[in-house]
Amino acid sequence: MKNGTFYVEKASIVHNVDPLSKLLFVFVSVAITYMLSNQPVVSGVLAFTLLLLLLGKVLHNVLPIIGLSLVLIFSIIVVQGFFHPDRSTVWFTIGSVPIYKEGFSYALLLTLRVLNMVCAFGVLILTTKPDDLVQSLIRKGMSPKIGYVLLSVLQILPQMIAATGKITDAQRARGMETEGGLSTRVKSFIPLLTPVVLNSINDTRDRSIALEIRGFNSTSERTFLHETNHFKYGFVIKILLAASLAAVIAWRIFI
Amino acid sequence: MKSIRVEQLKYKYPGSDHFVLDDISFAVEKGEFIGIAGENGAGKTTLCYALSGLVPHFFKGGYGGNVFIGDMEVYTHAMSELTARVGLVFENPFSQMTGAKFTVYDEIAFGLENLGVPRGEMHRRIQECMKQLKIEELGDVNPFSLSGGQLQRVAIASVMAMKPDILILDEPTSQLDPQGAEEVFQVVEQLSAQGVTIIMAEQKIEKLAAYSDRIFLMNQGKLIHKGTPAEIFSRDDLDVYGIAPPVYTSAARSLKFRQDPTANLPVVLEEMPTSGLEKFSLPTRHVEVVDVKTAEIVVSDLCFGYEKDAEIIKGIDLELSGKPLAIIGQNGAGKTTFVKLLKALLKPHKGKITVVGVKTTDTTAAKLAAAIGLIFQNPNDQIFKSKVIDEVMFGPLNIGQSPETAEANALKMLDRVGLASKKYENPYDLSLAERKLIAVASILAMDTKVIIFDEPTIGQDAKGKVKLAAIINELYAQGKLVVCILHDMDFVAETFERTVILGDGRVLFHGETRAAFGQEELLRDAGLEQPHITQLAHRMGYPGILLRKSELH
Repeated sequence: MKNGTFYVEKASIVHNVDPLSKLLFVFVSVAITYMLSNQPVVSGVLAFTLLLLLLGKVLHNVLPIIGLSLVLIFSIIVVQGFFHPDRSTVWFTIGSVPIYKEGFSYALLLTLRVLNMVCAFGVLILTTKPDDLVQSLIRKGMSPKIGYVLLSVLQILPQMIAATGKITDAQRARGMETEGGLSTRVKSFIPLLTPVVLNSINDTRDRSIALEIRGFNSTSERTFLHETNHFKYGFVIKILLAASLAAVIAWRIFI
Repeated sequence: MKSIRVEQLKYKYPGSDHFVLDDISFAVEKGEFIGIAGENGAGKTTLCYALSGLVPHFFKGGYGGNVFIGDMEVYTHAMSELTARVGLVFENPFSQMTGAKFTVYDEIAFGLENLGVPRGEMHRRIQECMKQLKIEELGDVNPFSLSGGQLQRVAIASVMAMKPDILILDEPTSQLDPQGAEEVFQVVEQLSAQGVTIIMAEQKIEKLAAYSDRIFLMNQGKLIHKGTPAEIFSRDDLDVYGIAPPVYTSAARSLKFRQDPTANLPVVLEEMPTSGLEKFSLPTRHVEVVDVKTAEIVVSDLCFGYEKDAEIIKGIDLELSGKPLAIIGQNGAGKTTFVKLLKALLKPHKGKITVVGVKTTDTTAAKLAAAIGLIFQNPNDQIFKSKVIDEVMFGPLNIGQSPETAEANALKMLDRVGLASKKYENPYDLSLAERKLIAVASILAMDTKVIIFDEPTIGQDAKGKVKLAAIINELYAQGKLVVCILHDMDFVAETFERTVILGDGRVLFHGETRAAFGQEELLRDAGLEQPHITQLAHRMGYPGILLRKSELH
């Protein structure tokens, strides 16, 4: 994370797929799970996404993010299990609070969808260098400025984490306790927020000067250091993805 | 046509009412090497900005006069047109990375891609620049994981690769070890010989004197004097402008070389005689040296690495107490990592460190904070409050000083570093040198038993260095243990009696500074060199090691 990106450098078949195919995959995979309410199909899509993470050797990197989304998932289960409009079959009770089967089943579907979304983005972000992704888009005609904004968005979290590390060091070096039990950590988290945000804003100024003097706003035709053709199977993968999406749309319309 | 032409340039930053650049006029020929000398706040960095177009295009504010780059007027041309002609290397290399690229190779390519340089040419230029700056093996490394010195080389390479007609460098060697700095000067000199116009602001006066065709002496926004190094540094009033002449010039003055008072003095080593000090003997010290008892740090068999199988510290044994100690060594030798271990910010893989009787593995950095203070190398990593006084009070409050005491201590230390008048300002609006001093004040205010400085002289001018030396001596007199990482060999020789030479994660030497600078071969292997005064005395036939200007009588 010190490196300012979530990208995990590994040699894998998923890493070798071109960034745009992976971007398309995220879209198709998320779209399918939202178009179909069929639990086995959605589970199937999730299983496929997890398989990609496994092939990309980054499955364990996605676990902390899944951990974070558990809070959201838990609240979905509670709310849906309790309040779903079609509730009729009481599945079990927590104390005197009934949890309904219909609600739970819907909650399970939502959970699968959220998990799939997190994992699909994981496939893209963990196995793709952010600059490769952005460069592919710029080559397709996206403006370099928008590309840079997108790149910054992709880096916001890792950079915040890096900044947090630095500021934590600065704070504990001067006597603020950040190591220890949960309560110490929580207590030390609040005073971190303002400096992390301020630091990011100040960095932005430095960053924009750095970009200016390296000709970022140049109007001349850009060139690219890396050639594109080191990614394999891009075309085939895109066709397959598009076909699956078309099949699902057809299924929704005709069946 | 002149390469650069500046006519009556005046500039003030937005919201400020004094001119940072005040009626500046000069012209520079193609391929000239211009050195800019002046104390901090003289306007050197702002002049660099004005020549590269950042003033007035990025920094607005009050702007008057004309700046021409070749036939292009800076004011009427956009930054994008200017960057193809003028390259600027920042003072702080940490701020020069674009963040858009994740390897050194790609980072250097960034500017070339924007300029539309063809791919083959791009690879050729990048490889050439990496070779010249000796960073070939860093191509696949992420810039954000580099040390300060390595990053500075990358920053220079990334601008050099754009092949500007004019290269502007703002203290480009501040983070480099002595040999690294010399290499950068040589590379820049080659460029100048190839017709690239060089403008370089620098505090390393001896180097500036040796390499510049002309020196611009600046003070309070004004261009005081343009002339050859000999003309500028032979002036009798340099201290008025806050700069010290090269060691050779002041030695020539004190040895009364000048018969004709209007003649210029020598400014480089080669102009000095090769004899005269054969019978010289070191003055016996009149000053009673009192040994003060200080806190103690004991390091035994210390090993550490950030990644598995990549040890950076490879078995260090040291006992630190007593007189202030300088740690010197090549960029990437593990100096910063070593002091972070002392501070318990990192935990050893093997071996142990005892700070004032406490093992660092048995405690936390926060609990140790009242005993040991560390001033970070990059002040941007240390400063996080938006008001100077809050920043300086943060540590004292955390270690249990009452708000009144903390404020009193903070004000006292701000006064000590000379920044009391800036107590309500935002540290981010101050210069690098000032931020560095704020970082110093914020640690001193905690009144710890041990104080570690990581390259305190970065960005400091002659006055700033004198101030730092005085602070270090005061701290020792108060019974504190002072440890200081340095790349400035002259400062080490003037200020420290004990020195540790680190190389590749090991202690290569620990002992008297005079003995350290006698180890010529060891110094060469460790990327270091002798202080200028030592080299001078050696040239003039003195068989021993001379360390201080005051020793030359």
